[in-house]
Parts: sequence; structure tokens; C-alpha cells
Amino acid sequence: MLKIKNGRDFIGGLTMICVALLFIWFGRELTVGNSFQMGPGYFPVMLSILLIAIGALIVVQSVVVHAEESEPDMWNWTAFALVILGPVGFGLVLSGLGLAPTMFLLIVGVAAASRYANWRHSILLGLFLSVCSVLLFTRLLALPVSAFGPWVPFLGSV
Amino acid sequence: MDLFSNLMLGASTAFLPMNLFYGFIGCLLGTAIGVLPGLGPTATIAMLLPITFGLPPESALIMLAGIFYGAQYGGSTTAILINLPGESSSVVTAIDGYQMARNGRAGAALATAALGSFFAGTVATILLAMAAPPLAAVALNFGPAEYFSLMVLGLVASVALASGSLPKAMAMIVFGLMLGTVGTDVESGTPRYVFDIPELYDGLNFVAVSMGIFGICEILRNLENEQERSVSVKRVTGLMLTKDDVKRIIGPVLRGTALGSFLGVLPGGGAMLASFASYAMEKRLSPNRAEFGKGAIEGVAAPESANNAGAQTSFIPMLTLGIPGNPVMALMVGAMILQGITPGPNVISDEPALFWGMIVSMWSGNLMLVILNLPLIGLWVRMLTVPYHLLFPAIIGFCCIGAYSINNSVFDVFVMSGFGVVGFILSKLRFEPAPLLLGFILGPMLEENLRRAMLISQGDPTVFVRSPLSLSLLLFAAVVLALVLAPGISRKREEAFTE
Repeated sequence: MLKIKNGRDFIGGLTMICVALLFIWFGRELTVGNSFQMGPGYFPVMLSILLIAIGALIVVQSVVVHAEESEPDMWNWTAFALVILGPVGFGLVLSGLGLAPTMFLLIVGVAAASRYANWRHSILLGLFLSVCSVLLFTRLLALPVSAFGPWVPFLGSV
Repeated sequence: MDLFSNLMLGASTAFLPMNLFYGFIGCLLGTAIGVLPGLGPTATIAMLLPITFGLPPESALIMLAGIFYGAQYGGSTTAILINLPGESSSVVTAIDGYQMARNGRAGAALATAALGSFFAGTVATILLAMAAPPLAAVALNFGPAEYFSLMVLGLVASVALASGSLPKAMAMIVFGLMLGTVGTDVESGTPRYVFDIPELYDGLNFVAVSMGIFGICEILRNLENEQERSVSVKRVTGLMLTKDDVKRIIGPVLRGTALGSFLGVLPGGGAMLASFASYAMEKRLSPNRAEFGKGAIEGVAAPESANNAGAQTSFIPMLTLGIPGNPVMALMVGAMILQGITPGPNVISDEPALFWGMIVSMWSGNLMLVILNLPLIGLWVRMLTVPYHLLFPAIIGFCCIGAYSINNSVFDVFVMSGFGVVGFILSKLRFEPAPLLLGFILGPMLEENLRRAMLISQGDPTVFVRSPLSLSLLLFAAVVLALVLAPGISRKREEAFTE
């Protein structure tokens, strides 16, 4: 039985192989063509095969070569979720709420990802940045987004 | 004289009040992000790109370039004052710079860094002005096969010179190239990997991708290991250099400039490699080598000159060939495309005002930085006291608006988030994200040239080795690859990067 000496690279190599297989799978309907008349699928398929080869090489290396000792990673799932989902939420409610409330919610939301966050600072920062962004982006740079969207009663504009 | 008239043309563009203003803003922002650890030039340029859409191309590129070299200056300030390199290229400056500051010579160290950088910047700018036109003229004769080989060389060299595992960096390049195929195929009009999402027909937006991979991902990594900084800096005095200092730094500055200018041109080289290499070189050459590590002024002068020279000359391949050597240059290429300019050898002849304006603006920007930096040191230090928990929400906020404003669509915000996740997974698996971005930018160009070359040769793959130019480029790529794989050199390479 082979012993894996570098678990991280082993997974890394496998991930690359999976990525390549995904590209081949989703590109299966693209015409590959031949080297004279390359179809839209030629380049991606060729690259996928190359990536599988490199992935396999990384896997082989991970079995043969010892990993250097490295510090174990710390996982901070709350921070991760907030930072990734914050912008998604921003995208979902922007057109409805308008820039100012969306920005405020985003800032207060993602600020909670830090272990040094405190509510007073976050709210002040949120207010400050929403005012700034409204002034900069809707007034100066004229983005097609209003400060308050249709979901906000009284203030909102479509 | 031709060069002179070109530079005059550049000056007439660069010294327009508006362009001076944007150059100034760029330098100021660049210094600020250089000072702040945890926010690199790549993420900042990606974040600010959307704001420059409304500007004329000259002003936009002048400002973005200012951010890049401003960051080199800013990084050294904190490296010297509090042993905290704001930028990877000033890591070695911290070694002797901080010791000088502890010996009460902070002012001299800062002045050395600023003057060395300014000198190097000036030389590199002149070099850029002289080297660019002939290079572009050569490149004008390039056919698709030569371009293909040149890009292969660029990609290979960029991973070979970077740190980390070679197969993993290669994997990132290929992955990047594959991501570049998303969108409508130019030749046949067939949509590829679009999953019926209309926004994807134009391909993944590179600004959103780079904001995700660099901006969002950097924040995630910083939050994992979050520490509050405590900053205490003594007042900086004695900015004047003594006669003895000047005598000691002339050699290192000259050598640093030469080495930096050379390494900057190489793909994957740029500022960081330049500063490391020149520090290592001075350590061997200097008559005062015993002082290194204990506050030798040479240890500040050499890497600071080298990193600025390298930053400047890394524009050469980007401006003349349209081939970016590092992620920042990849973003500059993207910025040019967004402004409707096709990067490549035609830029000099088609857009002379832009080209020469940018070159002259680099010199004026460097001058501004010297004037700006020394008196404003107090401000930069105070900026360091802004705690990260107030900084990162603002970065995320700007990234979101920035991503939205690319096409006024929230889809790019989702792309950014998605690539934040991708970047995070890759960094957990210890894959470097920089080659991915290079591959992503070069992907479509690489594919187009490959297909054209093969079409011209009627499917004969020997077209790449029949043209002497293309053959030598490919051979060079193979040599670079072989050198890195050779056991003796790969060990040296590791040593160089761990040093």
C-alpha cells in the first residue's frame, strides 16, 4: 500500500484532475475538430488533457516526496461565510433596496467576521461608507443605481 | 532627435493638469496601499479599475501605473520604520532598514530608499523609452506562430521565476487558460461553458475574477490569523545623508538599478525578485558586508533601487508586446482592452500620445513620490493605526460596487464571490493564484494565435519550429524549464527564496 506523504498536494492534484474532467464533461458537445480546422472544443479539451497530466504528476509527487512541515491551518468558518455571502447578499438586494441601505447592511454584516468587531464601530463605519458611496457612485460617477430602491417606503425611487 | 521629440510628445500629455492630477492620485493611493499590509497592488488596481472607466485612456493608465510604483515606495516606509513590509518587494528592505531605524538613523534610511528609488525609476524610464520602439518594431513582424511561442515563453518563464512548486504553478496556468475559454468562441460563434447564462457569453470578467482571487481571498486569509497591530514610531529626524553615506550608496544604487532593470523585463520577474537578488548580490560584493543585517545602508539602497527599477521595466513587455509578466501587468492589459486599446506592438504607432505620456508620467510620478513621501511620513504611519477590522469591510464594500459597475450588473458581484471561494480553496491547497490570472488573460490570445497559425500551416504543427524566431523562443522556454527542473539549480532556487 502506498503511503501518501503530502496530503495537501495529493488532494490538490486530484482537484486539478477533477476540474479538467468537469471541463471535458461540460464541453462534450463542443466540436473538437482537427489540428487544421480547430473546433471550439479543441483548445479546452487539449488543455484539460494537459491539466490531467499535470494533476497526475502532482499526485505522484505527493506520494513520493515528503511534505515540509507547515503550521496547521486555522479555519474560521464564520468569517469565511460572512465574507463570501456578504457580496452575494449585496447582489441580491441592491436593485430592491438601493445603494445606501445595501451598503450599510453589507458593511455591518461582513464587519462581524472580525473577532475585534464591535457593533458601535460597525454601525458608524456602515453609515459613513454608505454616505460616501452614494455621494461618489450615484452622484459623481452616475451609476444607474439609486440611493434608495423601490423596497424602501417613502424615500425609494424606481 | 527622435527620442527627444517622442519624450516631448509624452511630456505634453503627461503634464496636462488633469493627467498630473490623476498621476498624483495614483501615487497617493499606491503609497497608501503600500503602507497598509494585507492590501496589495493587484487587489487595489482591480478594485479601482471600474472607477477609471469614465476617464480618458491616458489618465486611466497613468493613474493605475501610479498605484503600482507608488506601492513600491509605500512598502519600504513601513518596512524601515516598524519592520513591517507592506509589500512583498520590500521584505528585504526591512532587514537592514529597520536596524538603521533602531540605531536612530530612520531618516537616513528613508532618504536612501526614496533617492535610490528615484534614481532607479529615472534610469528605468529612460531604458523603457529607448528599448520599447525597437522591440515593438521587431514584434510587428511577428506572425501568429511567433506570438504563440512568445506567449508560451512568457507563461513558462513566469512560473519558473516565481517561488513554489513548478507543477502546481503550471497547473494554475493551464487552469487559467481554461477559464479564459469561457464565453463565446470568437471564430465559430459557439458559446462555451456558458450554462445558458447570458452574462457569460462575453466570458468571465477579468476584473471580477481578479477581485475575487486577490481581494476577497486576501481578506479571508488575513481574517484567519487576525492580530491587532500595535504601532509605536519615534519621530523621524535627520533626513539628510552624510557625505560618507552618499559614497557608500552610489555603488549599490547603480548595481541595484542595473540588476532590477534586467530582472523586471523577464516575465514573472518584476519588483520582488529584483529586490531579493540585489540584496543577495550586495551581501557578497560590499566591502561592508559584515554590517549587513545590523543596519548597513547598502542593504537599503540596493533592494530599493532594484525593486523600483524592476517595477518600471516590467512595463516593457506589456507595452511593446502586449504580454504581461506579472498579475499587475495583466490587469493593465485588461485596463487597456477595456479602454478600447489592443495591447501589442501597435500601441506605440497608433497611440503615441498614450504611450509616451505614460512613460513620461512614470518619471513625473517618481518625482512626485519623492516630494510626497518624505514630508508625509507621519501621515503614512498614522494610517497604520487604522485597525484591520475597520479596513476590510470597506475593501469588501468597494469591491462589490466595483464589480457591479463593470457592466452595471450584479452578476459580476456573484462571479467575484465565487472566485473568492476558488482562490481560497487554491490557497488552502498551496496553489499560487498569480499564474492563474496570467493564464486567464493570455488564454484567448493564445488560442487565437494557435488557431491562426495552424490554419495558415494547414494543420502542420511544425510551423512553430520552422520559423527561426518561433523556434528560438520555444527553445528558450524549454531551456528555462530544464534549468528549473535541474536538481542543483532547483535547490539554489529554493535557497534564494527562503533567504
